[in-house]
Amino acid sequence: MTTEEDLPDVNGYSRVSVLVSAVVGLAVAALAVVWAQGFRIGYESLYRVNPSVEGGGIGSDWVFGNTIPALDFLIALIHAADVIMGAFILVMVFIHWAAFQRLAGQMRDPGEDVSEAVAADGGSPARGEGQGGDGA
Amino acid sequence: MSNLDHGKFTRVTTLFHSLLGLDVFLLFFTGYAIMFNDELWWMLTLMGGASGVTAIHRITGIGLVALVVFWITLQLISSTGRSNFSKIIPGKEDIDAFIQDIQFVLGRADERHPSARQFAGYKADEVPLLSYIGKGVVAIFSIELTLLAISGLLIWSKTGLAAMFQTKAAAMAFVTFHGLLGVIMLMGVMFHIFEHGMHPAFYPVETKAFIPRSMVPEHHDDDEEPDTTGIERLSLSPSWRTVSTVFGAMTVIGIVSVLIGSIFDEGYPVPRELAIGGGPSSILLTVGINLGMVVLGVGLVLSMYGNVLRIRWEQQLERDERPAAADGGEPQTDGGQPEGRQKLRIA
Repeated sequence: MTTEEDLPDVNGYSRVSVLVSAVVGLAVAALAVVWAQGFRIGYESLYRVNPSVEGGGIGSDWVFGNTIPALDFLIALIHAADVIMGAFILVMVFIHWAAFQRLAGQMRDPGEDVSEAVAADGGSPARGEGQGGDGA
Repeated sequence: MSNLDHGKFTRVTTLFHSLLGLDVFLLFFTGYAIMFNDELWWMLTLMGGASGVTAIHRITGIGLVALVVFWITLQLISSTGRSNFSKIIPGKEDIDAFIQDIQFVLGRADERHPSARQFAGYKADEVPLLSYIGKGVVAIFSIELTLLAISGLLIWSKTGLAAMFQTKAAAMAFVTFHGLLGVIMLMGVMFHIFEHGMHPAFYPVETKAFIPRSMVPEHHDDDEEPDTTGIERLSLSPSWRTVSTVFGAMTVIGIVSVLIGSIFDEGYPVPRELAIGGGPSSILLTVGINLGMVVLGVGLVLSMYGNVLRIRWEQQLERDERPAAADGGEPQTDGGQPEGRQKLRIA
């Protein structure tokens, strides 16, 4: 039997470090709420002004759409990243799908009779899975 | 053969994984109910309309900030975290594992590379802490979650956003950027659910991420080098072929649909260039995106099922240990054990 001590990479985390991390995480989250929520001064109501007012005025900037080139570029970039990563993820799905089919082919079929193999070593089956010692 | 296989994660890691999964699923359901509102109108209504959805999205977003900061802090201040850092960096063996996976699929390799193996079986000791896919998931999700949390907080803080973007349309374009950023993770999570739910040896869920290493028995009662992983001793579940085919198709359709949807539906609520309508919206796209959400829903159920298995496993371990202590004998190893309690190494 291997104990965890033999495997330093899987040793558990100490209670103190978990507790400290939890406190830091919650504190930062609370600060984030204060920062995001704390300085609102009525922009919501400004945004509700009907943008179709003739001749401009509050809300007329809707007409122009986004005019910041850097943001335009970021959106184009993220579209490209989505498509490239999407294609890559699809490739990974297909590779794993096919690998799983091959692995399934190496396994016993459902309900495959293992009684003969079990008789060979005198054992008894445990739910017909993984036991029985018939070897491959 | 044990269905537990080679659990390598700590209890804290498995709990963190479950909480992060639950939080991210809720963020996806709410965020994409907004972005794909043409296709997921029912989800929007179900969660209380626009105000209900944004409220849940913000609450879970703060939960995400707490979880991410918790995890980063834990990795920095604990020796376990620091020592694990090198184990999540992709290396040459991960590229080899990717290439060997392709060869395995084409029939040019007999088995998967140790760095790709999900079912380690007898060869559990050869398997690293994370597979090459696991490392990729950690890398991509870390970058995505950080950027999403920062951009999300900026969107929440209207003044922060208004300070950066002087026009409302530009501010809404930033919201679009936030939504598009999450699409990679959305597609990645669908693959993640397929990968860990449909492996024939672990179907319907790989318990590695739910049952901590400390609860997984390992036997080293022989020094022989095993020839195979031992997968040939496992019986395939009767429903695996049908379910994995249907779920695989749903995963592919879901990924393709959210990708197409993200290209055409970017204009919520204001397009980059002002245009009438929100891009093409068809029944096929609606069905596809909804299938993608079903894939996520299955992931949520499997995550909960993994935790149910852990609780049952804990109870089973307690029950097994009690009679052994009473009579001082060895626990039964044949026929009377739970499925997962079978020997990891078959002598």
